[in-house]
Amino acid sequence: MPAPVPFDPSAIANAKHKLRPAKDGVTVKRTICATCDIACSVVTESKQGRVVKVRSSDNPIFRDNICMKGIIAPKAFAHPDRILHPMKRVGERGSGKWERVSWDEAMRDIGQRLKKVIDEHGPEAWAVSTSQWNTATDHGLGRRIMNHIGSPNWISGVALCAGNTAAINRLTYGWFPMGDFNNTNCIVLMGHNPRRHSWTPLYNYIRSAQQRGAKLIVCDPRKSSSAERADIWLPLKAGSDAAMMFGWLKVIFDEGLYDKDFVANWTVGFEELRKRVDEFPLDRVAKLTGCEPEMIAKAARMYANSGPSIIPWTPITDMQRNSTSAIRLQGILRAVCGYIDVAGGETLQGFHPDVVPESTIEMHEVLSEAQKAKQLGSDTHPAFTYRGQEALREPLKRVWGHEYPNQITGCYMANPSATFRAMAGEGSYPVKAFFTLGNNTVMSYANMPLIIKAMMNQDLIVAHEHHMTPTAQLADYVLPGDSWLERPWLTDAFGWMSAYRPSEQSMEPPGEALSTWEFWKRIANALDRPELVSWASLTDFYDDRLKATGMSFKELSETTEIYFDMPEFRKYLKTGFATPSGKVELKSSILEDLGFDPLPYFREDPPVDPNYPLQMFTGVREDGYFQTAQRQVPEMRQRAPEPMIFVSPDTAKDYQLQENEWVIIENQTGKISAQVAIKEAMPNGLVRVPHGWWKPEMQSGAGHLSGALQYSDAQLCRDDEDYLDREQGIPHLKGVPCRIVKDPTGGAANPAPTEATL
Amino acid sequence: MSKLSRAERKRERAAKLLIWLADRASRNRSLLDRLCRFIVDRVSRRAPHEDFMRDQIVDGNEGFDPDELDRYQRGESGH
Repeated sequence: MPAPVPFDPSAIANAKHKLRPAKDGVTVKRTICATCDIACSVVTESKQGRVVKVRSSDNPIFRDNICMKGIIAPKAFAHPDRILHPMKRVGERGSGKWERVSWDEAMRDIGQRLKKVIDEHGPEAWAVSTSQWNTATDHGLGRRIMNHIGSPNWISGVALCAGNTAAINRLTYGWFPMGDFNNTNCIVLMGHNPRRHSWTPLYNYIRSAQQRGAKLIVCDPRKSSSAERADIWLPLKAGSDAAMMFGWLKVIFDEGLYDKDFVANWTVGFEELRKRVDEFPLDRVAKLTGCEPEMIAKAARMYANSGPSIIPWTPITDMQRNSTSAIRLQGILRAVCGYIDVAGGETLQGFHPDVVPESTIEMHEVLSEAQKAKQLGSDTHPAFTYRGQEALREPLKRVWGHEYPNQITGCYMANPSATFRAMAGEGSYPVKAFFTLGNNTVMSYANMPLIIKAMMNQDLIVAHEHHMTPTAQLADYVLPGDSWLERPWLTDAFGWMSAYRPSEQSMEPPGEALSTWEFWKRIANALDRPELVSWASLTDFYDDRLKATGMSFKELSETTEIYFDMPEFRKYLKTGFATPSGKVELKSSILEDLGFDPLPYFREDPPVDPNYPLQMFTGVREDGYFQTAQRQVPEMRQRAPEPMIFVSPDTAKDYQLQENEWVIIENQTGKISAQVAIKEAMPNGLVRVPHGWWKPEMQSGAGHLSGALQYSDAQLCRDDEDYLDREQGIPHLKGVPCRIVKDPTGGAANPAPTEATL
Repeated sequence: MSKLSRAERKRERAAKLLIWLADRASRNRSLLDRLCRFIVDRVSRRAPHEDFMRDQIVDGNEGFDPDELDRYQRGESGH
């Protein structure tokens, strides 16, 4: 990245948003960054057929929405180690021995081997894991092919990040809401801390709202940068979100601060809920959360009285033992305060009526009921599986016009841990073929030792990737994926919004890199099912989906940056809610029918094991990285060269830890190495473990995995029942027992990156 | 269901107007579109001393030289 140039802010402020004049030899495209999952609208500038600059959009509605990861993208995707050709494993799995093959050769062999697995074990023996942002999207084609072939076993990182939130929200009011940041009066951040270079548009929205007078409440154990700007900061104990929400409801009910008309006309189960809430007087909530009762009450009053308020989606609540209850409690707060589907509140947008959504492409209706019933984990943790969402089919069709709207791609997933157990030979049936697309699987879910065991037990592993990640190192085939600079895209924020944004292709993919669309088309052909992806090209596919707009993809791209559906509020007055009762289900009929407590509850931590006296949370990352990516990008790595744990000064003192000292963090699941950073913002006894660490420059292959075995937080993430949410089966990552011990090598086992190794 | 209050009606109208303006501003083709973009730009513009999005990395972004990227991709240059 070029060095920052000195500048006088007053000289350029207000000037940079104007349309820039075209420069000689520069091709400008309006595109959408997919380096992370927030999808900023940006502009690329290309010279000599390659993108040389990424800058923020000229459209003021997307003003300044760009971060360092987007800016570095032209160089990051030009990395000399990027995979540019299909690679076939020729040695033992994980031996690091590869030979270059053609796409056709690869697909012929993959097709034959996948058909063999299906013939021997059934279609359910094929599982797929994707994280849609890395390679952006699979356009619904992965699910479409799996549904026709007969496999329900699709998993994704969205199982513990937004996808599960979407599925759980639907249990309460039938859709996943989007907060109306532009018109809200109060924003509640549950542990989330968007920053200038991390989830940039959210940071922009929140600060803009604050600037026009909106209140900010932050619930976070750390004194985060958002907490520093908040009107109220509640430093709750990690993992106690549900208890905090109970406290708020207690105040709101006792003081009559809820929307009585809405509750009377549009909810069911209020009296039962109220009894449950009465089990949480503020002194109990204070004990569970570690926050002062007065402050809890003050925050509850601010949320209820300042409205319309929003509680934006947060990945923090997604990853807790009480995730289902906590997500439901957030939904219940929204509902009882009258903030559902109102301006300034939580909008239920539906799909854009003119565009065929990816959910339709997925064709979940063709997967037989018998195969749906085999979805792994649906017997024990059904909430986001077909079984858990089955009762919503008719209501969703009635209200939103779609029987299987797969919001955030997370509403019809298999359970990841159950899938890995089946892959490891510990399930009710075997999974023997595994595809991983833009998803560093071994580091992206809990219980990394199990995932590695699962990978080593496969007959076929296919990775579609940019780099030789620890996961790709264990594959049979590693196929080169394109990047967001190199393909067109059409996004509706994974079905969360009713607006569509087109993204223009800015350059040709390097080498033989291909899109996920091409990947799946070739898989359909390899399975002798070409009719499943009958479109000739990705743009043909988009043209087809856009037919009702009267525009082709090219015309749409040239005409607008965002294709809106004009908003309507309080649509439930006409349609009711997309729940079995047609109302907001404070008491969930779906959870009750599935055999769970229909009301939210709070499950306390297991007794403290004196061997692991500290608690850790994971899932957070440095600004220069998204999930497990970008460690090979020199400019990003220089900013954060090593994994750092954060501890408070008192905790450092108690354990005699020094700044930058290498230590080992361990628990019953595993251990990792990291350096110590002492932070005033951290509470005592809590350790912040960074997410997604490996070192691409270190030894690759089984037994090493380029440092993933040494640094990946997934080594510490448990998935035993005490640490799983009951309804979803997702892991508790916010408050896991651990201990810190001195590194006996004094850090000698942790080679620092050098210019030569990056 | 109670009737919408005046404040709620006003907020809904404002929200719809905002989307309509954003829609036109995003097209930016006709005179009306450009006027909408001008309005959106003016109302959302921040004074320099209140501009929390100012950032040295973003403001100093000069991009890359295509030949340098070619060499980098071929492994002929380090950082």
